[in-house]
Amino acid sequence: MTGSAYAIEGTALTRPYGGFLAVNKVDIAVPHGEIRGLIGPNGAGKSTLIDVLSGRAAVWSGQVRMDGRDIGALGAQERRRQGMARSFQKTNIFPELSVREQLDIAARKAEKPNVEEVMDELGLSELGAARARDIAYGEQRRLDLALALIGRPRVLLLDEPAAGLSMRESLGLATLLRDLAQRWKVTVLLVEHDMEVVFSICDRITVLQLGRVLAEGTPDEIRRSADVVTAYLGSAA
Amino acid sequence: MSRATMNIAAARVASPRLSHLSWLLLALALAVGFGLPGVVASVLVLTLLTQAVIGGMLAVGVGFLIRQNGVVSFGHAAWYGVSAYCLGLLLRHDVLSVELALVLALAVPTLTAFLLGLVIVRVPGVAFSMLTLAIGQAFHEFAMKAQGVTNGDDGFAIPLPDTLFGLPISTVQQPETMFVLCWSLLALVVFGLYVTVRSPFGRLTEAIRENEERARFIGYRTVLPRAATYAISAFVAALAGLLFALYNGFVSPEVLHWSLSGSALIMAVIGGSRLLWGPALGAVIFFFLKDLAGNMTEHWPAMIGATVIVVTVLMPAGIAGTLAELFERLRKAGGRA
Repeated sequence: MTGSAYAIEGTALTRPYGGFLAVNKVDIAVPHGEIRGLIGPNGAGKSTLIDVLSGRAAVWSGQVRMDGRDIGALGAQERRRQGMARSFQKTNIFPELSVREQLDIAARKAEKPNVEEVMDELGLSELGAARARDIAYGEQRRLDLALALIGRPRVLLLDEPAAGLSMRESLGLATLLRDLAQRWKVTVLLVEHDMEVVFSICDRITVLQLGRVLAEGTPDEIRRSADVVTAYLGSAA
Repeated sequence: MSRATMNIAAARVASPRLSHLSWLLLALALAVGFGLPGVVASVLVLTLLTQAVIGGMLAVGVGFLIRQNGVVSFGHAAWYGVSAYCLGLLLRHDVLSVELALVLALAVPTLTAFLLGLVIVRVPGVAFSMLTLAIGQAFHEFAMKAQGVTNGDDGFAIPLPDTLFGLPISTVQQPETMFVLCWSLLALVVFGLYVTVRSPFGRLTEAIRENEERARFIGYRTVLPRAATYAISAFVAALAGLLFALYNGFVSPEVLHWSLSGSALIMAVIGGSRLLWGPALGAVIFFFLKDLAGNMTEHWPAMIGATVIVVTVLMPAGIAGTLAELFERLRKAGGRA
């Protein structure tokens, strides 16, 4: 780790999607150990920003830094080796492999394999031998997250981890994330539509609108922001 | 499906160790190979079986690629043919001993396939298939046009020595003995591939086949394992080509033609590629059907085509795959009773 105050940092990030700029000169910097929420209406550029930070989408212009080091030219594999992991909006697992098999495969690339620990933390211990395609949707979402948590990443980018989960499952996941982030000292950037999850676990929240940063602050500040209320949260916030 | 049943089923898939049953099946397969020529009196049937086993080995290579990389090769005859030509040319020019020529004839196509694989496995689906077709036809065209080297369309007889590994050369040219050799090698190849697919490398390539993007995001470079899988499947095809060259003592551009690649693919489809030995079963059915239909009508390819349609529609997993599913269902029903 370098002396940088930020675990993950994007400067003037720009990335087109289709015919428009999905991410337009976005600056974002997440300090070590923070859980940062990334919210915004559909099409705001949240997933594209995560893609750019994780190496799924190439940076068009701007810089991506991890612990102060420029990682813009690194592929997904190298970023993983640097300690960055991510989950996906759509469940992204290996359907034909057993839960244990795929976590073992992930662990072979980890400096400190922690398959048992991750299975235990995510309640997957009983499902080790089950084929991934045969387990319930909520369990598949947890498996997706487990694949990202193998090796205790330092930076975790989560793209709607609670998508499709029941309210009870979502809140359980939120508690688990908060707990793991604190104990494992993981920096988390979380894209999530479930506001209850975001406002309950995030230290700070960045709001995107039309590819630009609309606001940034603590959950209370975001709740009180007139711009955000108008653009996104509505009167219910 | 109950969670307990699911766990048992998946645990069986997941176990990386080779069971006693695997070794027993290998021993049984070898014993059948050694015993069959004593039971089958007809030289014609043994000749057909020998051809089927050689074709089966080529199909096993094609099936392995489908199973592990999830892609179809329309040009595996390239590795079959390059191997046969390598042996033929090395012996024709008396460059090396036959034993060394055999090693080189296996190494050249395997290495070439690996290097080409590093480029073509990056291309998905149909585009990959088209590239393999192009590669196969490029080798075929070279064999046709390079008269000075390959004798063009006419091909050439391979000047085999009197002995091979201390055995008379007739060992590889008489169906009674060549069948045993080919069958034994096929059994060992299938067993070797079985060990490979259950190894960490095999599991990784399955994971990449399932979800290449996720494999990259858990830290893997995916091109190298996919290229290695392609090379392994080319090695199996090259071994088949080598056996063909030894058995026939002759090589011509036919061994590089796309129609041979197509036949191997048909064998793999008929047998099914989920099980490693499925394409070999498909080859036996293919050769006997071809012989049977060929005696009845000159339009025998239509009967092969009809068989492929029937198998594809009624048994998408192929005959071996369907038999395995049936066996699995019966086993589960037995377990519940």
